[in-house]
Amino acid sequence: MRERLEWITLIGLVGLLGAGWIYISRETNAGVGPTPLTTAPYVGNLAPDFTLQTVDGQSITLSDYVAGGGTPVVLNFWATWCPPCRVEMPYFENVNGLYDGQVAVLGLNQAESAATIAGYARDHNLTYPLLVDQDMRVNNLYGILNLPTTIFIDRNGIVREVLIGTINQGVLVDRIEELMGE
Amino acid sequence: MLPYLNLGPIGLPTAPLVYLFGMWLALYAVDRAARRQGQEPEPLYALASAALLAGFVGARLTFVLVHWSSFDDNLLGIIWPLTSGYSAGGGVLIGAATAFFYGRWRRLSLWPTLDVLVPGLIVFLMAVSLADFLGGAGYGSLTSMPWGINQFGVRRHAVQLYEMGAGLAALGAWWTATSPRYRGANGRPFLLAVVVYSAGRLFVDAFKETTPLTTSGIHVVQVVALVLTLLGLVMLARPVEERAASQTGE
Repeated sequence: MRERLEWITLIGLVGLLGAGWIYISRETNAGVGPTPLTTAPYVGNLAPDFTLQTVDGQSITLSDYVAGGGTPVVLNFWATWCPPCRVEMPYFENVNGLYDGQVAVLGLNQAESAATIAGYARDHNLTYPLLVDQDMRVNNLYGILNLPTTIFIDRNGIVREVLIGTINQGVLVDRIEELMGE
Repeated sequence: MLPYLNLGPIGLPTAPLVYLFGMWLALYAVDRAARRQGQEPEPLYALASAALLAGFVGARLTFVLVHWSSFDDNLLGIIWPLTSGYSAGGGVLIGAATAFFYGRWRRLSLWPTLDVLVPGLIVFLMAVSLADFLGGAGYGSLTSMPWGINQFGVRRHAVQLYEMGAGLAALGAWWTATSPRYRGANGRPFLLAVVVYSAGRLFVDAFKETTPLTTSGIHVVQVVALVLTLLGLVMLARPVEERAASQTGE
């Protein structure tokens, strides 16, 4: 009988303390206003800023596009040796032409040299900015483990979607239209 | 964060490596636990292997189904090793179902089986936390505490390491419950490990930023952890005979 009482006391105590801790540690602003933004390469967070050079030597900074409610960005991580990446690159080339000036399409290469990327771009008639990240600084910043990965960033610099795997033309246009409508 | 391990010109992604190592270590833990508990390791090792394999395939298939529009015109992408999105929920569901049916097929007793499987499960969960820590996923909330880590340019709680601490505590509880001095009824090591791990997650999830929330801001994982903690305690409080009867349906 006494042992039973001890168990009941313990369970009641754990229940009370646990519920109290859950209440104390709840997000107080959920549902009543915007969540404070922090920088992280995940949906709902501010996309980490970076500056990289294109194969032409032009310097590109992410925040230059999105500062002050500017242009949405489609950031595609890729490599020349990745077959699914090669499948989707013509789609990025198409939308770059379709939405010229309205959306920035950036191809961010993984660990290859500027000469390799430039050669690939020339052979496949790619004209959108291809960024060189040979030391993997930005790939690591974004925690890119799989290729291809495409990140959709809205005009305020907030990550709206992280899509791992090949994307097709229809999905790409659909997502861009969503970004532009926000 | 160390998403890639650079070995000369080769960059190896750390998270998949940790997952692989975690799977191997989980199976090893099941094997060792079976021997420690005086049980035949083979069927339990086979059950854990089947659950892990089914969970892995199930997680991938669920991901592909959910994101089918990204795969319908490129079927190679489904098995392309570097396009490796997974759905954890689908994996857990399919892995658990496989373990259940395999256990039924091999006619394994519930509580002794759970006693042996739980160290493997906790080791695997710890590997998931470590992979998150290295890859940058499942990150913590902002902090000014000196033990915070710099992630994405801001100081955050190393919540993935806190989760590993909860796992270590649970393994310690299991080890104690299976030692000759404290050995009790079947199911007790499993329940103790679940209670300690759940209580740990109930505490540390408060510092996690990527946790799902209810509309009122309550952390869903904390609620699940509290329910598991209380259920475990209730089961521990039940007399051994009642637990045995509930297993046989008497």
